[in-house]
Amino acid sequence: MKKSIRALLPLFLAIGLLLSACSAGNTYSLDSIPDYSGSPYVTVNDNQPYFSDSNLTTTSFESYSNLDSPGRCGVAYACVSTDTMPTEERGSIGQIKPTGWHTVKYDCIDGKYLYNRCHLIGYQLTAENANEKNLITGTRYLNVDGMLPFENMVADYIKETDNHVLYRVTPIFDGDNLVASGVLMEAKSVEDKGEGICFCIFCYNVQPGVNIDYATGESTLAESSTAGESN
Amino acid sequence: MIIIVCVDDNMGMMFNRRRQSQDRVLREHILEDTKDSKLWMNHYSAKQFSENNAPQINVDDNFMSEAGDGEYCFVEDCDITPYLRWVEKVILYRWNRRYPADQTFSVDLAEGGWKLVHTEDFAGSSHDKITEEIYTR
Repeated sequence: MKKSIRALLPLFLAIGLLLSACSAGNTYSLDSIPDYSGSPYVTVNDNQPYFSDSNLTTTSFESYSNLDSPGRCGVAYACVSTDTMPTEERGSIGQIKPTGWHTVKYDCIDGKYLYNRCHLIGYQLTAENANEKNLITGTRYLNVDGMLPFENMVADYIKETDNHVLYRVTPIFDGDNLVASGVLMEAKSVEDKGEGICFCIFCYNVQPGVNIDYATGESTLAESSTAGESN
Repeated sequence: MIIIVCVDDNMGMMFNRRRQSQDRVLREHILEDTKDSKLWMNHYSAKQFSENNAPQINVDDNFMSEAGDGEYCFVEDCDITPYLRWVEKVILYRWNRRYPADQTFSVDLAEGGWKLVHTEDFAGSSHDKITEEIYTR
């Protein structure tokens, strides 16, 4: 992973510039993201999101990047509030096939399926169903162990306080890979200036026990894993 | 002293120096249960109760050293391990949710002679089900 992260440096730097404004005064290098070592995420930039104070707004909005030429998602950005949260049951998203998508099962995975159609901004925050600009090929581990706890924390904070949360998720693709190496998640509560919600983390798009070819989405059971692929 | 603590599914309490969650109904529940005693907490926690008129609240950043027998301590961002020998009861509130955590409740209630003596579920203001568990020695 470290090698691939290093290869991502130009992209990270570009994102850094994009988020820039963001980083006024911060010199954090994403090169220091460590290899995956058992935790589904690591903190980035001392857990401080790359938002500037001028980004903080109490006007709810959602913005999803257009897909790039291979069809990959980009930055998903929102000011989340009760205005953007769902008011009805979740709909179907099975018709979307994000880049790198494969339907494959392993016995070692809870729920069997390696890949989920993984919302960049979770359904519980912006009620987006089959929005292809908001769905990537993500492992169940990324979805459930990496991203979901953060989405839960933000959703429950908003429900409790009726405040707004600035929220941005950036999928990071290494070169021309079709499957993201992970996602950068940033959030900051608006009305209390981050006193309630404030984080900046990188979630790994890995699945323990499974090797993933990020260029294509193909996968194999890791040698150390004892449970096999399912039919 | 009696410890009151809120945890997620992995016994998490805090992330990035912030509480994982909060709930208005839970606060009212705690205040009702502690109204005949003292409820100790630090300044960080007191802010959460600032809109509640609760005369039993005593605010002190060294509150676990101050609390006496039968008095309550609402613990969010502290490690109770140094005070464990004086803890007579633990009231655990489970959010029944998974949140990120970098600070967890350090006491293993499955060991050390702790007994679960009471369990009760109730709906919070922003949580579908909060579970109250009471442990005694």
